Amino acid sequence: MATRKKVLLKVIILGDSSVGKTSLMNQYVNKKFTNQYKATIGADFLTKEVMVDDRIVTMQIWDTAGQERFQSLGVAFYRGADCCVLVFDVTSPGSFKSLDGWRDEFLIQASPSDPDHFPFVVLGNKVDLDNRSVSTKRAQQWCQSKNGLPYFETSAKEAVNVEQAFKTIARNALAQESDVELYNEFPDQIKLDGGSTDNRSSGSDNCAC
Amino acid sequence: MSFSSQIFRSPEYTSFRCNVPLKQIILDDTGTNKGWRVYDTGPRSVETPLVFLHPVSGRAEVFFKQLLTLSSKGYRVISAENPPYWSVTEWCEGFMQLLDHMDIKQVHLFGASLGGFLAQKFVEFSTIVHQPRVVSLFLCNAFTDTSIFKYKDAAVLFWILPAIVLRKMVLSNFSSRETFYDTRIMDSIDFMVELIESLSQADLASRLTINCLNSRVNTSLMRGLKGVTLMDVFDDYALGSPIKEKIYQEYPDAKLAQLKSGGNFPYLSRSDEVNLHLQIHLRKYDGTPYSASDNIPNTE
Ligand SMILES: Nc1nc2c(ncn2[C@@H]2O[C@H](COP(=O)(O)OP(=O)(O)OP(=O)(O)O)[C@@H](O)[C@H]2O)c(=O)[nH]1
Ligand SMILES: [Mg+2]
Repeated sequence: MATRKKVLLKVIILGDSSVGKTSLMNQYVNKKFTNQYKATIGADFLTKEVMVDDRIVTMQIWDTAGQERFQSLGVAFYRGADCCVLVFDVTSPGSFKSLDGWRDEFLIQASPSDPDHFPFVVLGNKVDLDNRSVSTKRAQQWCQSKNGLPYFETSAKEAVNVEQAFKTIARNALAQESDVELYNEFPDQIKLDGGSTDNRSSGSDNCAC
Repeated sequence: MSFSSQIFRSPEYTSFRCNVPLKQIILDDTGTNKGWRVYDTGPRSVETPLVFLHPVSGRAEVFFKQLLTLSSKGYRVISAENPPYWSVTEWCEGFMQLLDHMDIKQVHLFGASLGGFLAQKFVEFSTIVHQPRVVSLFLCNAFTDTSIFKYKDAAVLFWILPAIVLRKMVLSNFSSRETFYDTRIMDSIDFMVELIESLSQADLASRLTINCLNSRVNTSLMRGLKGVTLMDVFDDYALGSPIKEKIYQEYPDAKLAQLKSGGNFPYLSRSDEVNLHLQIHLRKYDGTPYSASDNIPNTE
C-alpha cells in the first residue's frame, strides 16, 4: 500500500476575551463544557485525529488569550497555520466589531502567501442565550464582504453546530495544506527525474542520530 | 579545528559561547577522567531546572538556542553531555551523581533520541532506588526500546572500532542535507556533522553501544509521571512511524507537540517552535515548588 504522507493541520482560534474559544475547543476535543470562566494565558493547544473525506489527519488546535495583556507568544505560533477560526459572542456587539482587528492581526503575523484566499471560518457562539444582539444577517453580511467566509452559529455549552463547524475547518485547512504542499514538493520532483541518489533512510531500523 | 557551518558562525552562537561558561564536572576519583560537559543558565535560585540530554551525535552545544531563549524568559536550563558510559545503568548512576554534585533534587528532562531513551531510563532508575527525581519529561524523536535498531549483535564490538567507522555509522542515519529544500534544516545538519568530528572514539563507541544493546523502558514504572510531552516531526527523520506509534501507545495521556517539518534536529532547525512548546510544557509548574523558572504566574 502506498503510504500517504501524514498530515498535520494547524488551526488557530482568535477572538475577544470570554467569547468561548477555550470552551469551543474543549467541547470539540473533549466533549466537555464548564460554566466557570478561566482566562487563557498565552496559548495552549490540543490535538485530535479526524477523518476528512478518506484521509486521517491530525488537527492541532491552538487556543489563544483574548485579553491582550496575556498574549506573550511570538510569530512562531502563527507560522504554518492552515486555518484561522474567528469567534465572537452573539450577545456581545463589541466582540463582533473586533473581528476585523483579529483578521488583520492574523494576516500580519502569519503572512500567508495568498492572504485573499486564506481559509478563515467565523463562529458566532453562545446562541443558546436569550439576550442575543448580533443578528444572523449582520454576521453573514460581514462574512460575505470578506470573500464569502463560512459562518456557523454555535453553542459550546449545548454542543450546537460545533462538530459541523470543525468539520468545515478541517476540510478547508486540508485544502490549504495541500496547496502549500504541492508547491513545496516541486523541487523533489525534479530531483527524482534527475536520477540523483537519494539516500534518505526510509526504513525504521537504523540508529537514532 | 576550524568550524565553518552557518550556525557556528552565527552571532547567536558566538553570543552563547561568550556568555555561557562551559563547566567540566569530573565525578569519579578513579582518574579515568569521566568529565561531564555542562552549561547551566538562568536563575540559580531555581531548584527544579530543565535539563537537556543530547542524541548520539550531539554535544551539549546542540541546545544552545533553547538555553539562550528560555534563560532569557526566566527559566533555569542546563545542557549536560555525558562522558563515556558503557551501560544504561552506569549512565543513570553517573547522572544521579551529577545532580547530587550540582545540588539539584528534582528536574524536568528534555531528551532527544538517545537522550530521550536515557531520560526515561532515569525515571525508572530513580524510582527503583527510591529517589524519584523527575517531575516531567519532554521527549523529542525518542524511543522506548533499543531493539528497533539493527547492529544489535555488533554492539558488543563497537568499543574496538576506529572513530572513522563509528562516525560513518552515525552519519549514515542522517537524512542527506540535499533532501531538504529548507536552509534551516540544512544548517542544522551541517552543525551536527561538524560536532561529530569533535567527538572522540570513546564517546562515539560508548553512545552507540548504549543505543544498540538490548534494553527497553518499563513504562509501568512511570505511571506516577504526569507531565509528558512527546515531540515529533511529520517530515522525514531517522526513526519511522511504527516507533512513533509505539511511544504514543506507551504514553496515552501525553501532550503531542507535533511539528510539520524540521528534520532530525528540530531544536536547531525550528528552535522558536520548540521553545514555544517547551514554555507551554513548563508553564503549568510556574508558581509551584516544581517550577523551572522564577516567574510569578500571571493569574487573575
Ligand atoms: N451560555 C454559554 N456560555 C458559554 C458558551 N461558550 C462559553 N461560554 C461561557 O463563557 C465564558 C468564557 O468562555 P471561555 O471559553 O473561557 O472564553 P475564551 O474566549 O476562551 O476567553 P479568553 O481565554 O479570556 O480569551 C465561560 O464562563 C463559559 O462557560 C456558550 O456557548 N454558551
Ligand atoms: Mg480561553
